[in-house]
Amino acid sequence: MSHIPSKRRKLDHETSHESDKIPKSPSNELDSDFDKDEALDLDAPATTAKQPQPHSHSQPKRTKDDDESALYAAGLYKSSMFKLQVDEMLAEVRPNYGKRFSGADDALRQLKSVIEAIEDREALSVSIVPSTKYAVLTLGQQVTDATKLLQKSHKVTIPFPDPRPDKNAAYKLAYARPSNINIVGSYTLKAMVKADSVLSIDMVIVMPESIFQEKDYLNYRYFYKRSYYLACIATGIQETLKEQFSLEFEHLNGNTLHPILVAKPKSNKEKSPSSYRINIIPAAPQNLFSESKLRPTKNAVRPKENTGTETTLPPTPFYNASLRSDANFEAYLKLLHSASKQSAGFVDACLLGRIWLRQRGFGSDVSEGGFGHFEWASFTALLLKGGGSKGHSVLSPGYSSYQTFKAIVQFLSTTDLASKPLIYESPDFSGIKSDVPVFYDGPRGQNILYKMTPWSYALLRDEAKASLDMLNDAAFDQFESTFILRTSQPLQRYDCILSLPVPAKAFDPPTCGHVSHATRFSHRLFDVLREGLSDRVKLIDLRSSKSSSWSTKSSGPTLPGQSLLVSVVFDPANIDRLVDHGPAAEEKKKAAKFQKFWGEKAELRRFKDGSILESLVWKPGSTYSIFQDIVSYLIKRHFDEEVSQGLRLIGESFEKSLPSSATSSKLFETLKQAYNIFEKNVKDLEGLPLQLRQLSAISPQLRNSSIDPPSFSPQRPLKTPADVLIQFEGSGRWPDDIVAIQRTKIAFLLKIGSLLQDADASITTRVGLENEDHKLQNCSFLDVIYESGAVFRLRIHNDREQTLLERMIKDKSTNPRTREEAVAASSLYKRTFIQLPLFNQSISTHCTRFPLLSPTIRLAKLWFDRHMLSGHVSEELIELIVASIFLQPYPWRAPSSVMTGFLRTLMFISRWDWRLVPLIVDFTGTMTSKDVSSINTRLEAWRKIDPGMNRTVLFAASNHDTTGVAFTDKGPSRVAAARMTALAVSAYKLVKDKGVELDQRSLFATSTADYDFVVHISPKFAADQRRKEASKHKFKNLEVQSEANLELVGYDPIQLYLSELEKLYANSIVFFHSEVSSSVIAGLWNPQHVVPRSFRVNMPYATKVSGDLEEGKIEIDKSAILLEIARLGGDMVSRIEVNR
Amino acid sequence: MAPQETSTISNFTILPILLPPSPALSHPTKTTHTLYIRPNNPKIPTEADARSVFVVNVPVDATVAHLKGVFAHLSGGVVGRVEDVIFEDQSPIPSKNRTAIVDRKRKREEEQEDLAQSQELPCTWDRETRKSGGNAVVVFVDGRSMEGVLKSVRKLHKSKAYPLWGHGISSKVPALGSSRYAAHHALRYPDPRTLQRNVDAYMTAFNAGEMQRQREAKRLRNVPDEDGFVTVTKGGRVGPAKAEEAERMRAEAEERAKVRTGEGFYRFQVREMRKVEQGELVRQFEEDKKRVEGMRERRGRGGFRPET
Repeated sequence: MSHIPSKRRKLDHETSHESDKIPKSPSNELDSDFDKDEALDLDAPATTAKQPQPHSHSQPKRTKDDDESALYAAGLYKSSMFKLQVDEMLAEVRPNYGKRFSGADDALRQLKSVIEAIEDREALSVSIVPSTKYAVLTLGQQVTDATKLLQKSHKVTIPFPDPRPDKNAAYKLAYARPSNINIVGSYTLKAMVKADSVLSIDMVIVMPESIFQEKDYLNYRYFYKRSYYLACIATGIQETLKEQFSLEFEHLNGNTLHPILVAKPKSNKEKSPSSYRINIIPAAPQNLFSESKLRPTKNAVRPKENTGTETTLPPTPFYNASLRSDANFEAYLKLLHSASKQSAGFVDACLLGRIWLRQRGFGSDVSEGGFGHFEWASFTALLLKGGGSKGHSVLSPGYSSYQTFKAIVQFLSTTDLASKPLIYESPDFSGIKSDVPVFYDGPRGQNILYKMTPWSYALLRDEAKASLDMLNDAAFDQFESTFILRTSQPLQRYDCILSLPVPAKAFDPPTCGHVSHATRFSHRLFDVLREGLSDRVKLIDLRSSKSSSWSTKSSGPTLPGQSLLVSVVFDPANIDRLVDHGPAAEEKKKAAKFQKFWGEKAELRRFKDGSILESLVWKPGSTYSIFQDIVSYLIKRHFDEEVSQGLRLIGESFEKSLPSSATSSKLFETLKQAYNIFEKNVKDLEGLPLQLRQLSAISPQLRNSSIDPPSFSPQRPLKTPADVLIQFEGSGRWPDDIVAIQRTKIAFLLKIGSLLQDADASITTRVGLENEDHKLQNCSFLDVIYESGAVFRLRIHNDREQTLLERMIKDKSTNPRTREEAVAASSLYKRTFIQLPLFNQSISTHCTRFPLLSPTIRLAKLWFDRHMLSGHVSEELIELIVASIFLQPYPWRAPSSVMTGFLRTLMFISRWDWRLVPLIVDFTGTMTSKDVSSINTRLEAWRKIDPGMNRTVLFAASNHDTTGVAFTDKGPSRVAAARMTALAVSAYKLVKDKGVELDQRSLFATSTADYDFVVHISPKFAADQRRKEASKHKFKNLEVQSEANLELVGYDPIQLYLSELEKLYANSIVFFHSEVSSSVIAGLWNPQHVVPRSFRVNMPYATKVSGDLEEGKIEIDKSAILLEIARLGGDMVSRIEVNR
Repeated sequence: MAPQETSTISNFTILPILLPPSPALSHPTKTTHTLYIRPNNPKIPTEADARSVFVVNVPVDATVAHLKGVFAHLSGGVVGRVEDVIFEDQSPIPSKNRTAIVDRKRKREEEQEDLAQSQELPCTWDRETRKSGGNAVVVFVDGRSMEGVLKSVRKLHKSKAYPLWGHGISSKVPALGSSRYAAHHALRYPDPRTLQRNVDAYMTAFNAGEMQRQREAKRLRNVPDEDGFVTVTKGGRVGPAKAEEAERMRAEAEERAKVRTGEGFYRFQVREMRKVEQGELVRQFEEDKKRVEGMRERRGRGGFRPET
């Protein structure tokens, strides 16, 4: 391999053109490879558009070697389920190369021949340097000429990077035939993924050495020449292939130093718009500039004023790496190729990585974090060769694709390449510590992570850590969260998003090295926010808008008013801290730094423990208001007023839509304290007939999860009594008959009531009756009303019931009706007396563990309620769903704001394929894959028994309840469940479409248009009206005077009306109602009952004669039923609206 | 009795009833509710059959007064022809204004019924509702009144003078709507003394029944049945085996057996264990395969495509 003479001023063109500087890729190989159809190998790294062959391991194997593959799958993959799904996915995403790129080969060949035929720029040379065969311009005078000429004759503007070339420079622009044309990138590797909107083929045009000079690496000279070269190619293609291609300029990966030409085939009429595009990328010959001069620590952009020694100049890593990467296209192609030969799983691992990155919003583009599939692939390829301790390789070639993928994720999560740069095979270079990651690839002399920023790297590592946890989760299948879910959706990923404009004026002096104003601003902003917010946030990410392509005629991409999105993940433990402690006053240096950073906000304070610290005190308020205060102060302090005024905060609105969001936790706490008193009172009772075992709370109000937080006062007792269970020690004295047990409970309750009243005269108690129609179920409860206004509803738990009911169900002599009753009673028993206490305990524990669980549950309940599903979907089911979002938050971490929690809940519901998939919540983190699979089996069994899903629809299991039906037995029905899913799907779609522009109110808007009829409750009785009255502020003295009306505790006429309607028309109408807000009851006729039937006695609904009497058919009498509903409601119904 | 064709449906006579309009619903025409009636003819005949009518499709808010009103209208405004109305699924507690159909001849029976009444929990509704589309039996004072009513129903189809539902009885029955629910809420909390008495009565009766049953069982313990077998019942000197106890014993025995030979004691055991494990793995794989296939089928194309 002959080296380029390093001291050549003007490279000889003719010889270099055909010379074998890159010996293994002759310029005509493109043609030859089109004809050959042999496998790619190292000797022909640049082969390209061969007809794709299906990879042997790409299709999911469905052969008979199951024994083997089963063992194989369990060993080399996470689980067989995981492997099978990965196979399915890979088969799905792999584009059909033949179909997708039909005609691509011809197009490439055509482009190649056209580019090769472009004449060296004679026209210019004639006038300026007549003796040379190619166009030469000395930049100083000729840059304007060149621009003008190309503009005039071809209407092509040279895409010079900023800063524009200097008029006084003394070097020349030229065009000569490219030394080589190659296809690189994932097209050659067959590592493309569908669903990337338009697939692109990268065509690299290697510029001849002849047009460059030795010092061209300095001061953008190389890039100016490159731009001119590109413009010439654009001109050439435009001249000859105007009909076939539309041409545009673009910045490759958003790097403004790398303009490229994008050729999109113009669609023929018979075909749909083209599915691919060709990126024409000018590249440098590999050894044009010496690697050592362009290391990340070197400076290549000399400041204009001083020409000091190199050591004093700041390094220009981005500029250097951009230049190096231009020379490395073929080198990396070779590297990736050898890796794919070396390891069978390499290509698939790259595909997995590509999907993983894309779902997390990463890409090679600078605005997408600068870590895309190219970086992933080269990362993997390099780690196959080395990177470990003592130069050992991190990956083994024998790894399966999944193992390789996981190893890379692990490597990313455990290694901090910013504080400890990784140098691969470059013994004389040791990297420097910085906040940007470095993975220096010695042989190719490039930091492959040069496009990354501190924040994108932090984000990448965070994602890698989360994914590693997911992949290590033994019990649950995490396939979906690893590859399918899009985790980068801002409202689900981040707790708060700040949008702020990029200020026009600069806040710090421009530095050398290619760093734009906006980039400098973001770096500065990131530093300020990171220091200012410290441990309040876990993650800060900055995103600027992606650069777009521009027409060859215009001078550059049109930039809309630039704005920056700063996304933040809160740390719920610290985010609403009111006082920040800084360094102690004695630590002078630190204190001074603190004061400088915070300005007037920093104040010296003495704390209780005697320490005197620099500190910051913030105004109390909600999480978001504190956060906003801090951020706007920081921006005002470090930038200016204008920037801080442009600040917009996204994410707060969700929290605000909860009723009494500010005081709720206090209200829950008050009730809990009242409960503790109640528990103590009961325990202290003397003279109870049996020994007390325990009291257990089972009310949403006692586990921080009711929509309305419990509020009570002596004058206004608690509206809904809080349910509590009491259990006594076992005794043989209970009767051996279920009905008799229920009656005995009444006597017990009467006794407890009178004992309580005796012990404390201020307590009021009364025994009430329930379940009058169901003799086998619990028939009585005791309301205990405290003077403070706290009300508890006590029921007795007796574990004999279960045995007796089961005996009844098993007994063959029981008549079917009684058995049905017994089954219903047994399920109610299990729910109320066994499941609910455990559930209550778990939820309330986790509400303490996750401060955001309670508000998220309440908001989710509110959503269900607004959509009138609260009668169908039990509160506990909603709580289970939300708890699962917190306990198995993958692919994210547990939500740290109401917004993320709620939107992820919506997403879960919209994606929940409840026909096949159970919801499983592991409260204690102790479930094993065996438990999970047995729950799955149970669901399958249910579906086999009851494929129509008439009995069991949703299956929601937890570690307390593996039957999965404790809270879904009573509903939702299939209709309601389908409606739930449909509503969630449309809501989630709205969230996705609107992005940060989402108005959360639109998610909570009730619509009654879909129902057959709507019963409007008269305002006097409507729930929201009564709520308004309750919250109305009364004068204190009036309040004291008025007697508390204990009679009305627990009285809810609308609920009574609704449950009566549901009982009466159980078969013919499905009712929908919102408990909290709405003043309507909506109904749907059962479509099965609308058709006329022949007459029989005992129809389950009111009928009338249908059509001709002689047919003897009857049908449902809708108008009579509606009148019945109106009569039953009496004064409570104001209007019935019939939609259909 | 040749029924008119237009007014019957499978041997039921159609009796339309005019419904009072509701301010909540705007109906262009007058709405009727359809009752289907025929002479009562139950499977188990009773003495009163000859003078009672079987009514189908009773409105949910029907009361005795309502139906009395309807039939008074049909009897030409003469009140008092209807002796009683028995609704389907009527709770066994007879309401106060209802007289039992069964002739009570013996006083003892009556006493027993009273006892049973006080054992039942107090009713929590001042007015009960009926199941939609349900039935009722209307008992008339004599057969002639019933015949007359059926006849006038047939005439009704010509005159179209249908009876109005709930006409003139608003004062006789508790009102529907919020006042009914308020009353229900109040009735749910009966007086504790009543409740206590009620429970006491129930438990006394229950215990008496239990005693009776025990005595019976005790008697049976010594009496062989016709095949000469003696039924084993509860209450002997040695209590009968309990199911839980038996289960526990079995588990213990198994545990003991396990300890004796031990798992993986013999080589064949190890081999078998491994085989089982392997088989389990293969089975799992097969199962997973089926599940994934099921997913693919259900989701169709693009089911495994990453979300965009």
